[in-house]
Amino acid sequence: MIVIEGLSFRFQASERYALRDVNLWIAPGEFVVVTGPSGCGKSTLALAIGGYLFRQYGGQASGKVTVAGMDARQCPIYDVAEVVGLVQQNPEAQFCTLTVQDEITFGLENRCLPHDEIRERVGWALSIVGAAHLLRRPLATLSGGEKQKVAIAAMMAAKPQVLIFDEPTSNLDPTATAEIFEVIARIRAEAGITVIVIEHKVDYLLPFEPRMVAMEGGRIIYTGPFSKAHRPRLPDRRPSRLLPTETEPIVRVENLNLGYNGHPVLRDLSLDVHPGEFVALMGDNGSGKTTFLQSLLGLLKPYQGRVQVLGQDTRHIPVSRLARDVGFVFQNPDHQLFAESVWQEAVFACRNFGSLDERTRSQVQELLVHCGLGERKEDHPYRLSYGEKRRLNLVSVLAHGPQLVLLDEVLIGQDAANAAFLLELLHRRTEQGGAVIMVNHAPEVTWRYANRLIFFNGGRIAVDAPTEEAFQRLKAMGREVYLPSAGTES
Amino acid sequence: MKQRITYQPGNSLLHRLHPLIKGGWLLLGTVFVFAIPNPWVVLSTVVFLLFSFHLSGLPPGKVRGLRLFTTTALLLGGLQVLFVRRGMVLLQLGPLAVTAGGVEAGLYVAGRFVSVVLLSYLFVLTTEPNDLAYTLMRAGLPYRYGFALITALRLVPVFEQEGQIVYSAQLARGVQYDVRSPRRFLTLARQFFLPLLVSALGKVDALAVSMEGRCFGRYPTRTFLREVRATWLDGLALGLLVLAVTALGIGKLAGW
Repeated sequence: MIVIEGLSFRFQASERYALRDVNLWIAPGEFVVVTGPSGCGKSTLALAIGGYLFRQYGGQASGKVTVAGMDARQCPIYDVAEVVGLVQQNPEAQFCTLTVQDEITFGLENRCLPHDEIRERVGWALSIVGAAHLLRRPLATLSGGEKQKVAIAAMMAAKPQVLIFDEPTSNLDPTATAEIFEVIARIRAEAGITVIVIEHKVDYLLPFEPRMVAMEGGRIIYTGPFSKAHRPRLPDRRPSRLLPTETEPIVRVENLNLGYNGHPVLRDLSLDVHPGEFVALMGDNGSGKTTFLQSLLGLLKPYQGRVQVLGQDTRHIPVSRLARDVGFVFQNPDHQLFAESVWQEAVFACRNFGSLDERTRSQVQELLVHCGLGERKEDHPYRLSYGEKRRLNLVSVLAHGPQLVLLDEVLIGQDAANAAFLLELLHRRTEQGGAVIMVNHAPEVTWRYANRLIFFNGGRIAVDAPTEEAFQRLKAMGREVYLPSAGTES
Repeated sequence: MKQRITYQPGNSLLHRLHPLIKGGWLLLGTVFVFAIPNPWVVLSTVVFLLFSFHLSGLPPGKVRGLRLFTTTALLLGGLQVLFVRRGMVLLQLGPLAVTAGGVEAGLYVAGRFVSVVLLSYLFVLTTEPNDLAYTLMRAGLPYRYGFALITALRLVPVFEQEGQIVYSAQLARGVQYDVRSPRRFLTLARQFFLPLLVSALGKVDALAVSMEGRCFGRYPTRTFLREVRATWLDGLALGLLVLAVTALGIGKLAGW
């Protein structure tokens, strides 16, 4: 079905090859999982198979890509699109319309299919992803998992012979992740098409016995059965499960109630966080984790109860002042790069706080070197790879030494090595007397790094306990997908 | 909580009206307030439009931006009152004289302005944008333009949300929005818009892959499953629209 021979590709204005001498053969109906570190060329390979790489992105290419007998480098994109469907990482970014029905019919209407056939295909595509009940819904009202199902159905409606999923679950909680992988399995079973999944969470896919393709630095370094592949793991950190309670708390939350536009999101939350704690916040998408994190920095104010950070009431202090003691790393690295060089970015907050003295300079320099960014100080932050940007985000937040570090799903799209690096940096902060609170969907990470797990359900705390005990309680609650054995890599 | 200037779901008469016929009434209403030289008729139109807001379940006080437009209308009207000197003097304040002609001109200008704003608001707040775009495309608008409108509608809330995230991320790094000089303003603007621009470019790439992957632009035309059906109400509204346009045309020709 797909034959790739000696494919190399370099993006315009880049010195580095994104793909290097890639050779790959995929048979009709085969199930292939492509994995590897962030920036290793997985998504570029997907774009090459779909033919987009050679039309929409400037660059230098060599080698051959043949899909169903067509030369993907030469054929019109529309011809390749009749055979290959690509489901991208973020469903939001690929929607072209405003409602589920319009989204599914979009590609069929573009192909000028008759109405009866469009209706038949819409019904089939939605039923295969288990989303027939969503037909009349506006896209904006769907959950993350539902959006991804609609994105898949929109591609399936065209009845492609090859379907590529580019990290389809990276923004989803474990419940939705498990559902999407079930959908992929169902598509394979019922439609019998070739499926290629680009994914970090490879353990979820083990039961489907796919062929694994591992990439690194633009090359394929392994192709073969899953069982024989080397799968990178996080180091077994296992911090002390004893929670420090003797010290003055860094965070004190009392009867917190908070919401948007009159709709309550957080209800009756009370808790303390002490120095040395590494707290993992888990729960389904929309359960209130991010809202809670934002309330700790005063970005959202309670309408009842109060939040105190180092004795400061968040209702009475400007965010920009509270930020001296509270570092916040947001989900998307690009949303928090403001300066024109890596060094300027690293000291950005220190400058704003007026704390950039010689001692701080040397600490920041040390952090940059430790993070492998010492040689990139003069580069523009947007020239860094995804993993490097993430490290820079963390450096720029840790630079002014906040006591409390808040992280909102920062491990999305990170490979095990990068994730381990970031987590070690954070762990060091807790050893130095700080506290870390991290929204996280990966049970493995929580198991290995957190000494406390808070599980949110419908805006309330359902479980708040030392990690081991919390997992036992989640098991008793029937939340198996949140247990480390359900397993994710990073 | 003020409502955003976007479609507000409802089931009123205006909500149910066909988008194209509603568009026709919007156009006619705009022409009407400029064509009729009587300020009292224009003011009656304003009252009628406010009543239409009420009938559509849209309290004007809760619509975002309406206060700004009302203030602008009062300012425009006030300038006419102060500077137009025609007819009987109603009030003399030193060098300033308020005349009957000035008051009439003020009411006329402010009334026209408010009418056009209220008409536009009514149209936007009661028309589902998707319906409008698809109706326009079915009526002959090239589908590339129609989908440009839909894409813009879809991305506006996305960028609004991203702007809020960037703003929060800046506050979290100690940025203070204290504009002390043009240079500081430019720095703050660059630091705010650069992440948004980078994000927008990424989204454009993803959207282009998604559209081309689904054969958008392959053929000069396309089919449309979605249709907005016209009802007897639309027929009635269309008939009235034709009558009103004819009456206005005859009236203008007759010099009424």
